[in-house]
Amino acid sequence: MSSPREVSAGIDRTKIRLAVLGILIVVAFVSLFSRLWFLQVLASDQYRQQAQANRVRRVYSEPARGRIVDDNGKVLVTNRESKSITIDHNLLKRPRVERKVLVRLSDLLGVKIKDIKTRINDVTVSPYKAIPVVNDVHNHDILYIEEHQQLFPGVGYDRIPIRKYPQGDIAAPILGYTGEISADDLKSSHFKGAQPPYQPGDVVGKAGIEYSYDRDLRGTPSVRKVIVNSTGDVVGSREVQPEKPGLDVVTSIDTKIQRLTQQALTEGLAAAHGSGYLAPGGAVVVMDPNTGAIKAMASYPTYNPNVFANGLSEKEYKALGAATPNNPDDDALFFRPTQAQKNPGSTMKAITAGAAMWTGVANPYTVLGCPPDLTIPPGGGPGSVIYHDYTTADLGSMGFPESLEVSCDTFYYQLGYDMQHQFGVSGYEGVEPPGSSPHTSDWGSIKTLKYLPAGTEKFQQYARLSGLGHTTGIDIPGETNGLVPDQKWCHDSYLATKNTQYPTCALGWQPGYDVNMAIGQGDLLVDPLQMAVAYAAVANGGNVMQPRIAWALARPDLAGVEHNVKEFQPHVVNHLGLDSTALGVIQQGLQLVVTGPSGTATSAFAGFPLNQYPIAGKTGTAQIGNTGLNDAWFISYAPATNPQYVIAVYIEKAGHGGESAAPVARQIYEGLFGIDKQITAGSGHDVSG
Amino acid sequence: MDRIGGEAISSRMARRAPIRHLDPSLLLVTVLLSVFGTLMVSSTTGTQGFTGFYANVFMKHQLIYLIVAAAGLLGMILFDYRHLRGLAPIIYGVTVLTLIVVITPIGTLQLGARRWIDLGPFQIQPSEVAKLAVIVCAGAYLSLRKSEVLWRDIAVAIGMVVLPMTLIYAEPDLGTMMVFVALTGALLLVGGAKIRHFLVIGIIAAAGIFGVLQMGLLHQYQIDRLTAFLHPNPDVQSVGYNLTQSKIAIGSGGIRGKGLEQKNTQTALDFVPSQHTDFIFTAVGEQLGFVGAATLFALFAFLIWRALRIAALSRDLFGTLIATGIAALWAFQMFVNIGMTMGIMPITGIPLPFISYGGSSLVTNYLAVGLLLNVHMRRYLAP
Repeated sequence: MSSPREVSAGIDRTKIRLAVLGILIVVAFVSLFSRLWFLQVLASDQYRQQAQANRVRRVYSEPARGRIVDDNGKVLVTNRESKSITIDHNLLKRPRVERKVLVRLSDLLGVKIKDIKTRINDVTVSPYKAIPVVNDVHNHDILYIEEHQQLFPGVGYDRIPIRKYPQGDIAAPILGYTGEISADDLKSSHFKGAQPPYQPGDVVGKAGIEYSYDRDLRGTPSVRKVIVNSTGDVVGSREVQPEKPGLDVVTSIDTKIQRLTQQALTEGLAAAHGSGYLAPGGAVVVMDPNTGAIKAMASYPTYNPNVFANGLSEKEYKALGAATPNNPDDDALFFRPTQAQKNPGSTMKAITAGAAMWTGVANPYTVLGCPPDLTIPPGGGPGSVIYHDYTTADLGSMGFPESLEVSCDTFYYQLGYDMQHQFGVSGYEGVEPPGSSPHTSDWGSIKTLKYLPAGTEKFQQYARLSGLGHTTGIDIPGETNGLVPDQKWCHDSYLATKNTQYPTCALGWQPGYDVNMAIGQGDLLVDPLQMAVAYAAVANGGNVMQPRIAWALARPDLAGVEHNVKEFQPHVVNHLGLDSTALGVIQQGLQLVVTGPSGTATSAFAGFPLNQYPIAGKTGTAQIGNTGLNDAWFISYAPATNPQYVIAVYIEKAGHGGESAAPVARQIYEGLFGIDKQITAGSGHDVSG
Repeated sequence: MDRIGGEAISSRMARRAPIRHLDPSLLLVTVLLSVFGTLMVSSTTGTQGFTGFYANVFMKHQLIYLIVAAAGLLGMILFDYRHLRGLAPIIYGVTVLTLIVVITPIGTLQLGARRWIDLGPFQIQPSEVAKLAVIVCAGAYLSLRKSEVLWRDIAVAIGMVVLPMTLIYAEPDLGTMMVFVALTGALLLVGGAKIRHFLVIGIIAAAGIFGVLQMGLLHQYQIDRLTAFLHPNPDVQSVGYNLTQSKIAIGSGGIRGKGLEQKNTQTALDFVPSQHTDFIFTAVGEQLGFVGAATLFALFAFLIWRALRIAALSRDLFGTLIATGIAALWAFQMFVNIGMTMGIMPITGIPLPFISYGGSSLVTNYLAVGLLLNVHMRRYLAP
């Protein structure tokens, strides 16, 4: 030991050194404290949100989907419960166990492992719900699984609502079907912005009424907040929004009429086959001409929607579609009433007649000849074309009624030409008009077309007014526009196809286009529903109606009686603008088609009590290009004096309208009016074009 | 009270039994910290992560550790700490031997490291006790010198620490190694090393670290863990995920915390790893909030202040160095452990004194408290 003084000095130095250590420790404390202050006081909200996001997931239930009922309250679509085997997501974290379990499940239930895997890998299923892998499982299988849980870890069972179609294939394509929402659906405007928003895994309408009214049918799902731990296991949940079942959709479909219609179409096709026609498909529309209410729509071939409800694989779905691309002949998913785009043939003449009177090239009393052929432009010359009637006989002079009865082509060629000549294209500004010869310029090369002032292509205007060339606005998806060809379309198509498909358009809008359109040939394309709408307007005094299937949203009470929550009203889209005299001659002509001695549908309705239930209609036999084949049409309404139904029948590749289409309509009318079938009908005889 | 001043008082004091000079506040803060720790172990093992049987096991074990630790504390105050100076070579020898045993196959291999010796129902972690042993032995050596600190003293002292450190490196246990470095620094600082000593040591240490990294003596996972806090990466697969979740837990606790034994907390839902051991402060922060965490800081501050005060009061340099080493041990472990959970220090396996679940750590800390009390009690006794 040193002297006390030295010790003292040493002690003092030690104290200073301890103080240095103390300061270091204080610095450590200060830094910890400031960090703590930052985390827990300054940035706490941000971390609280992150903690929340870590553990809270929202899970949506599927509420009971609304039903779809017919005009009389008969249920077309409802729900049933399926006992389904489910697989927990946790099982998927243990691939070896999963494989063993899947093998056992496959053996027990007789389901292919591949099919179970497909269900598991369906990315649209919510990751916080057990995945239903096999539907409609037997009770004894469920019992077996429950008793042998050690063999089936992570396998559960759930009751899952499945869409049921009690009427089988009745109105299948109209009702549509449901399926899990796709990524594209989620982005589409139809599903976007709904409250509450659509979620992956939601079952939604994929077609038909199911699609159009999905927001009403789906109901409000219950929302559960689910707490998960770090490995994603659910450890608790709380309901934040109660479930509200979907609304029922009340349609104007009448199951009886729909069944009748489907049957008539099938039998009509069979009859056409019997007559040696290909007749691969057809369509029928039955509508109330006064309101636009769709009573029935049939398309052939068709499918049974129950197959969709049980979960259709991609392959099975494809099998329903067309066997050869771009040929919808055998496509069960192709809904002909709103999607078949075809020449209407002579059924167009009722519209052409209206157009002629609307434009003023004719009046109700106009009389024209019906020669075997007609040269257009009159007087002939270079560029002129001779158009033939379907018969070589000269039928003499006639007015509108008779022209419709005998379906005179030359009569309507004349009107088509007159409309084109007076109100159609007369030329481009500063360029020689078409039809003047010789042509000195290539019309198609003129990029900047100066279209004629609005209102000059009056035939086209009237056709559109009648409901052609654009969608009718029916409340199911997939409707096509059809086509009312005009100058602009001709020029655009010519340029778009680089003169390959529409060579004559190089010369501008030719008179022949309107002449062909006048008898429903050429480039004019319509679907059966559009024709039904156009004829309904003729029948009801000129109102072009928007066709509609659903007429109310309703909630059933405990007794099952529907109480409307919302009702839809008939909507008049346009008025034809023809007075009763003008409409009268058309209506008269349409009645003569069925009753007149030379009517093209007279033989088809032979023996039908026409005095009691007068029918008005028009046959159509549309040539399919140069194939020699014809599409058969018959558009009609009844009773002619007080129209209740308009029926459009279209039979593909089945000869004449009076022969193949009119009998189908007749069969439906017989059913509608309760006419005894014993009164035999001649199998329609029709030779018109 | 200044022990150089009033000789009369000092002699009167010296006549009293040493037990009369116990530091009751040090005992009190030890008890408070232990209660705090037991609550946290209960809260982190009683909820979602460890239910039923396991929760009981953790609590039961922790209580047994406390009893053993209390007995150890009692044993530590019964003899005059100055006898330890003579025993230092034996203590050192036993410590080194145990550390050798632990890295042989006798040691238990867990998570890729041999850090434990299995004793039936319990495992002991020799490196924990070794911390205290090294403080005593290095303190004994440094307090023996008669003159100013020489290069030779520095070299021998560092050498004494480097041997057990190397053995711990072999386990491997990087965190405990770092504790040894900090302890050595504190002992040299208070033991009389000069600024130039620190400068040279610093340069050698920097060169050494560079060499270690160059020679690949560290595993990539060790480097990743050490540097994770510099570039937080929330990716689930990375080390940074633990850190991100830990920060979220503490931050979301806010001022008042979410409460003990709560469900649906970050800790209860297992988002934070090792939450009853190394990451237990995460649970403190989340469940007790800023108020609870600051209270824990205050308890630690008081504890370390008492240790430093005892270092200053000690009659001899040996006592001063023991107390200094213990204060530095606690301060460093607390700083690195809590700093790690808040993302300002590297992730290392250092327990939070008195709070983390674990017997060896708890017993070591109680032995340390016993030593401090021993030094405090005998500050009037002539050697």
